[in-house]
Amino acid sequence: MNGSKFLIRDALGRKTGLVDRHILIVSGLSLLLYFILPFRTLPTEILVFALGAVSFNILLGYTGLLSFGQGAFFGSGAYTAGLLLIHFHWHPLLILLLSAFLAASIAAVIGFLSIRQVGIYFVMLTLAFNQLVYFIVYQWKSLTGGDDGLLNIARPDLSVLPGLTVPLQTNFQFFIFVWAIFIVVLVVIRRITDSPFGRILVAIRENPDRGRAVGYNIFHYKLLAFIISGFFTGLAGGLYTLFLKMVPITTVDIITSSDFVIMSLVGGTRSLYGPILGAAIIKIASEFLSQIWSRWMIVLGLIFVSFVLFMRGGLWGLLLNLRKKLFAPKMEGEGRS
Amino acid sequence: MILITKDLTKHFGGLEAVSKVNLNVEDGTIHSIIGPNGAGKTTLFNMLTGEIPVTTGQIYFQDKETTRLKPYQIARAGIGRSFQQNRLFKGLSVLENVRLAVNARCRGRFNTFKHFLSFSQPIEEACAILEELQLMGVAARNAGELSHGLQRTLEVAMALAARPALLLLDEPTSGMSPDETVKMIRLLKRLGKRLTLVIIEHNMNLVMSISSTITVLHQGLVIASGPPEEIKKNPKVHQAYLGGNLSC
Repeated sequence: MNGSKFLIRDALGRKTGLVDRHILIVSGLSLLLYFILPFRTLPTEILVFALGAVSFNILLGYTGLLSFGQGAFFGSGAYTAGLLLIHFHWHPLLILLLSAFLAASIAAVIGFLSIRQVGIYFVMLTLAFNQLVYFIVYQWKSLTGGDDGLLNIARPDLSVLPGLTVPLQTNFQFFIFVWAIFIVVLVVIRRITDSPFGRILVAIRENPDRGRAVGYNIFHYKLLAFIISGFFTGLAGGLYTLFLKMVPITTVDIITSSDFVIMSLVGGTRSLYGPILGAAIIKIASEFLSQIWSRWMIVLGLIFVSFVLFMRGGLWGLLLNLRKKLFAPKMEGEGRS
Repeated sequence: MILITKDLTKHFGGLEAVSKVNLNVEDGTIHSIIGPNGAGKTTLFNMLTGEIPVTTGQIYFQDKETTRLKPYQIARAGIGRSFQQNRLFKGLSVLENVRLAVNARCRGRFNTFKHFLSFSQPIEEACAILEELQLMGVAARNAGELSHGLQRTLEVAMALAARPALLLLDEPTSGMSPDETVKMIRLLKRLGKRLTLVIIEHNMNLVMSISSTITVLHQGLVIASGPPEEIKKNPKVHQAYLGGNLSC
């Protein structure tokens, strides 16, 4: 029976625990960001956007849904956190949780109305709903501050136990806070994508008609994917508010939606980790390029186009190919022994 | 009767693709549906599985009406189907294809917190199906990399995974080599012993050798229905095939 065991592993992959080598490597590398990069706030921003990109990729990479509405979820998370921080002095984790829940409910509504359509109509619907949310925020000046966004938000400290409070005021303190949340959420999202539910999402990406014919209610699964993606995107939005200590209206913009799309495609959508790589590359590149040349967006655009044209697997796919070429004979030898 | 249709009709705009079809499929038989191209065979299948809505008429499966049910509900009720054009999870391994199909009726399919490999039932059942269809050798290959014949066999494997009482196969041997066709016929005969099959097929050798009943569709109408010998002799059927020799 040993032979068939190997066959099953070849066919289905290996079972992973909650924390394994991959998670440890990602934790280590993302922690290193803070010490490598010359900008003190950039590492935190990278992790916030990486969280949003990974959440977006649940839709694009796993379910095959190109959602251009992520800005609506990110923005509603950011605004929820901003408003709660201004009007109530609640625990920051509670505020983040509420931001995530609000974004998830908006995702439920937008998803419910969008996934009835497929292909280009679906994409246009998500885009339209994003614009709808944007204009609501833009017009509702008394609540959202309209064009100015929400300003002067204080970042509270994190009270862990009565009498024990972790300060979140310096760049490093806040980076560690975001990093810890990032890793926990990554572990959770990975477990979701490796669960029976996550595998069904992949089946839907591969062939929705077949999925239906074997007995899956595609609508329910797509909707749940939307809600999960919205939840974690909203959480990222809430973190962004704590990070900036303000909420610019650009958080709910479709530019934010397209940022997540670009990050995922550059990093590679066929892996959980690709979008993290994409977020890091895009954020670092824009930071450096913007200091060198004022028309830096052109370069960023060219990078994006060349990735879509020549590297469909994204950076992550490129790395995997490299590894295959370098270590292929050795790895095969290991598998047989 | 495991499957009954009453005056089943489908209009596409002005075109009546299927008109007033009364089908009676007996339990435990192999029932073939034949007819020239455009006779409405696949449209009939698509109505039976809920892929397209019925214009008028009713469908009863195991004495329960399924006319307005959705595809996934019909699949769960016990009707499996293969498609004329392969519809596989092409980027996934053969075993994962079948595991996903089995998983659709397993407990824990909605679970979001445990690793999918913790659920051994779908894996074991999928392996059993692959063994039966002699696909175990290619279990780790991507479905999209298989030869056309093997992909057709995998189509059948996926339909079987739902453990259906009734299996609808849309041209199971289309595009297959003679060798592969022989294997498929053997497989269909074996399956016919334990479940009811409804087969759309152009290969007359196959139809005549394995069917217990044949229904002939022509321009959306049933022009004949009966055992193979009767159909062979039926002049209307010969006319529909423009004098083509049915035993060829």
